Amino acid sequence: MLLIHCPYCDDTLPELEFAYAGEAHIARPEDPSKLSDEEWRDFLFIRTNVKGVHAERWRHINGCGRFFNALRDTVSDRFLTTYKAGEARPDTTDLEAAV
Amino acid sequence: MTTYRVNGRGRVNTGKPVTFTFDSQTYQGFEGDTVASALLANGVHLMGRSFKYHRPRGVVTASSEEPNALIGTTRAGEGRFEPNTRATMQEIYPGLTAESQNKWPSLKFDLGAINDRLYMLFSAGFYYKTFMWPRSFWDSVYEPIIRKAAGLGKAPTHVDPDIYASRYLHCDVLIIGSGPSGIAAALAAGRAGSKVVLVDENSEMGGTLLSEPSVSIDGQPAWEWLEGAMAELDRLPNVTRMTRTTAIGYYHQNMIGLVQKLTDHIADVPDGAPRERMWRLRAKEVVLAQGAIERPMVFDGNDVPGVMMAGAAQTFLNRFGVLVGREPVVLTSHDSAWYTAFDMADAGAKVVAIVDTRNEVAQALKDEAQKRGIKTHLGYTATGTKGRLRVKALRVNPVSNGKAGDATHLSCDAVLVCGGWTPSLHLFSHTKGSLDWDPEAKVYLPGHKTEDVHIAGAGRGLWGIAAALEDGAKAGAEAIGSLGGKADVVAFEVTADRTGTGITQKELPTDRSAGKAKAFVDFQNDVTAKDIRLAVREGMRSIEHVKRYTTNGMATDQGKLSNMNGLTIASDALGKEAPQVGLTTFRPPYTPTTFGAFAGYHKGAHFEVTRKTPIDSWAEEHGAEFEPVALWRRAWYFPQAGEDMHKAVARECKSTRESLGIFDASTLGKIEVSGPDATEFMNRMYTNPWTKLGVGRARYGLLLGEDGFIRDDGVIGRMRDDLFHVTTTTGGAPRVLNMMEDYLQTEWPDLKVWLTSTTEEWATIALNGPNARKLLEQFVEGADISAEAFPHMSVVECTVAGFPSRLFRISFTGELGFEINVPARHGKALWEKLWEAGQQYDICPYGTETMHVLRAEKGFIIVGQDTDGTVTPQDAGIGWAIGKKKPDFVGKRSLDRPDIVAPGRKQLIGLLTEDPKTVLIEGAQIVDDPKQPKPMKMIGHVTSSYWSESLGRSIAMAVVEGGFDRMEQTLYVPDANGTPIPAKVTGTVFYDPAGDRLKVE
Amino acid sequence: MNAPATSFDAVTVTILPPVARFNLRIAPSDLAAASQAFGLSLPTKIGQGEQNADRGAYCIGPDEWLLHAAEADQQAIVAAFDEVRANTPHSLVVISDRELTIGITGPAAAELLSVACPLDLSRIPVGGAKRTVFDYAQVTLIRDGEDAFRLEVWRSYFPHVHGLLEVATRELALGL
Repeated sequence: MLLIHCPYCDDTLPELEFAYAGEAHIARPEDPSKLSDEEWRDFLFIRTNVKGVHAERWRHINGCGRFFNALRDTVSDRFLTTYKAGEARPDTTDLEAAV
Repeated sequence: MTTYRVNGRGRVNTGKPVTFTFDSQTYQGFEGDTVASALLANGVHLMGRSFKYHRPRGVVTASSEEPNALIGTTRAGEGRFEPNTRATMQEIYPGLTAESQNKWPSLKFDLGAINDRLYMLFSAGFYYKTFMWPRSFWDSVYEPIIRKAAGLGKAPTHVDPDIYASRYLHCDVLIIGSGPSGIAAALAAGRAGSKVVLVDENSEMGGTLLSEPSVSIDGQPAWEWLEGAMAELDRLPNVTRMTRTTAIGYYHQNMIGLVQKLTDHIADVPDGAPRERMWRLRAKEVVLAQGAIERPMVFDGNDVPGVMMAGAAQTFLNRFGVLVGREPVVLTSHDSAWYTAFDMADAGAKVVAIVDTRNEVAQALKDEAQKRGIKTHLGYTATGTKGRLRVKALRVNPVSNGKAGDATHLSCDAVLVCGGWTPSLHLFSHTKGSLDWDPEAKVYLPGHKTEDVHIAGAGRGLWGIAAALEDGAKAGAEAIGSLGGKADVVAFEVTADRTGTGITQKELPTDRSAGKAKAFVDFQNDVTAKDIRLAVREGMRSIEHVKRYTTNGMATDQGKLSNMNGLTIASDALGKEAPQVGLTTFRPPYTPTTFGAFAGYHKGAHFEVTRKTPIDSWAEEHGAEFEPVALWRRAWYFPQAGEDMHKAVARECKSTRESLGIFDASTLGKIEVSGPDATEFMNRMYTNPWTKLGVGRARYGLLLGEDGFIRDDGVIGRMRDDLFHVTTTTGGAPRVLNMMEDYLQTEWPDLKVWLTSTTEEWATIALNGPNARKLLEQFVEGADISAEAFPHMSVVECTVAGFPSRLFRISFTGELGFEINVPARHGKALWEKLWEAGQQYDICPYGTETMHVLRAEKGFIIVGQDTDGTVTPQDAGIGWAIGKKKPDFVGKRSLDRPDIVAPGRKQLIGLLTEDPKTVLIEGAQIVDDPKQPKPMKMIGHVTSSYWSESLGRSIAMAVVEGGFDRMEQTLYVPDANGTPIPAKVTGTVFYDPAGDRLKVE
Repeated sequence: MNAPATSFDAVTVTILPPVARFNLRIAPSDLAAASQAFGLSLPTKIGQGEQNADRGAYCIGPDEWLLHAAEADQQAIVAAFDEVRANTPHSLVVISDRELTIGITGPAAAELLSVACPLDLSRIPVGGAKRTVFDYAQVTLIRDGEDAFRLEVWRSYFPHVHGLLEVATRELALGL
């Protein structure tokens, strides 16, 4: 069971309080009707499936209820960092070197 | 009976004799004995049979890695049988019943041992070779036989009656293993004030110290020092000691699974006491002080009862006061076994000889042996044993230039073996920490660490009690340092320490044909050195392949004794260094663990959550049958005397349609959507338009995923301009709220809207039937619920029977219907009032089955039953629920995707069987021509199917390719026997298509 | 309702009487208006609580508060918030019946909770509260003292949670 840092609670808490919520930084298009079928398909279904550092969403569902973003190494299963929804993906070069 | 107990030795309580049985024979031991030590005290070595060849086997260790002495135990009370318990770990208590395994008819005479004679058939990879041909034999002959023969011990036949507990624990420093290094670490960390937990799988702490009483620490004999150390730890309020507690797995971020055995050593178990407890412990720092495991030596006949590990013999002597033999031979390549010989001789045994494969050993050891009159053979090999149920002699030969010379037989009653020591790094391996090969010592040592962990003592290749103490204290101090604290340096003065050195080796050289030797590497799985060499010859290059081909290390001991010997032999066969061949991965659990420990409290009534509504108890009192719906249990139907489900449902349907039915709808999900932008939010989430829905009005809402498929539905009422009362399906409630929160928080954070689940705030009672209003209106205050003032699809806040209420006029049955929401605590009281007053209308409580039939008669879908995640609103025939003028809503864009608009999609239609009495099977596949050649083309399946009492015939719904264009076509659906049943395609509204029944004045 | 359900020397598990309970959602910048309407200064950091007589307020999310008051005050509190809604948008939802409250008191209170609550309870300050899990149920845990907790659990999960507490209390009483 992992410990996960909730950026809203500013606390590191048991994984049991959290739920995974898919890949991060895939924003819903402002006006979906303007997208081609291919663009809409990519938005719906195409995901990166990274081996390494993966930007993903979690929800502190049994805590403060907030969705937030995380960078997690899919090889070691380690969280590099977590950050609030809407924030840009942080640079984690240093953290990755330390893994 | 001869006793092998030695006066004045051991820690067992000789004042408390304990009687137990093994294979129906009564034996006596003492409090503090294990089954193994007590049997050895009675001269019994033969404790089991091996898995494959059924060879007689004796106990070889004194600890949890024991591969041979696996027993079945029966504790008091029905169903308390457990197989595969290690006799070396099971403590005896009065009345314990133990039995040997894997034998028939008896341990001494086992017919299964025929396999031993056929061993040529059962060599490495025999599974893959022997059963290959003929192919047709696999299902009918080979597999049944293998299944029958497979398995170790016999499975329990009863439901486990025991209670298992679980606990979370958080500490600063967890120390695993309470030998000298673990104790030193605990003292260092404990004195520094940290929250320390010290665990050990044994019944008492001390580890090696329990087997080495002659050592002196800080001027005290080892056991006195140990007592003092334990007392000190117990005085520290920040230190917890846990015995009989095994660290079974080391998980991410220093989470350790601990299984504590609580009652398996007690004769009179208190009522309600848990048998075991699983601790999920999170430590800031971990110290692994697990010591090392002694390696067997690989030579012909090394598995005969009486051949055992020298360190085990020393433990049996010093901790339990038992001589494992009166005339032992010691066979070793490590100094440690010499001390076993000395201790045994000092305890009165006649040590026949010390046979060492090394040419040179320290002069001091030779002097000590000579002092005791023990013969020594240096530079010797062992090439065979005599004896079948007990060793009678060891065949030894001098070795020169790698060749074994002339053999001598050393008569003996025990062979005590030490082939070196393997640092115990199983838990460290769980963390994916790397292991570094030490080419000098030929062992793996801890390398790169991935967790906040410290390894101390023999676990990192150190030897001797002084070194272990010093290293443990250092690890404890380091752990404190990592926590930002400072621990005083603890130093120990050790005298009479038994330091030593040794070597490890492949199978011992022999003068006989190596091909005929039964030199065992893995005792439990009967893997020999020859098997491993065969695997290499047959092309296995990686140790992972050798392991799976030979099953070496795949037994319940996970190769604790066999892996390193197997690796050494395989790397020799491959001509490579061990690290080039690899090391198999250790996985949790460290030792076999009961299912009960994992299940914990989750059995019986607590197996999972059973959610109950506020009205559930009324249903139970009135004889309802229940069905699970998501985590809820819901009243399914209310059978009266002599009724089966079919009859009860027919009656409930009829009563509701003709007069009045009452239904507990409390499980429906409810979400309060509130805020100035609530309408905008609803417009974006649901397919329907909400802007023009007036306060006090309700509308059917349809929710899609972004992929355009139906996710959920429910009636939504507008309570205020800025407040919606949203209902969801029972199972969909948490999912819908999560989805709404997701969009709100991450896509539209600018919207001023808030969501609150009120599912459980309200109890919801549905009244349906032509008499619904007549019953209800007498209870309603603060609202006019007449047909004119309160039309279908309305909502009003009022009181019902004096309870504050949100009252909906809606119908999921096609009859005049109301849903009354009252605060949950009043749900049952309101139900009872309605029930009482409803008697004049023959009010009928109905359950979910009747609800399903009534809605199906009206063609109302159930999301998840008539839809399956691939159904669009158009497919389900509810395209009318889409707000055509809305610029966007979740899933809208997908409704134009090429696959969604393509012809031939499966569409929801009605099916009427030609024979009205035949009810189709839900889930049955549909074909348009039952005479077509197989495999037939399936064009859809039945989603809902019922007997309709109101229509006097069966009805069904189905999703069928191009269904809307197949009206009046006859399709075919198999019955339970596969006979095709013809059914005609219709619309889905079977009952009252004009909706007249809603219009009750 | 106030009779001890389960008890031995070290811990007592009690079903507590109902209270007026609200879920308040409001932008943190508007908090002053809510504090005024509720008559108690609402805490600003997740996990913190404020109490005064029978009023209690606990911050359980960045824009979410759990409010407690005497049952008799429920309507007045709803009315007070109604008044400020036009100028200060928020959501106040009555959830008095959604949850049941279990009191857990005594020297072994934290140990009893540790049978199914994965949190390090030593990190929850007295007077604070936190939404978390107890076995399979989501709960809100309020700490009233070193040895005193309240556990609020959705009504339908109550039998499961309370049943587990009973089993575990018996286990603790045995001292094994």
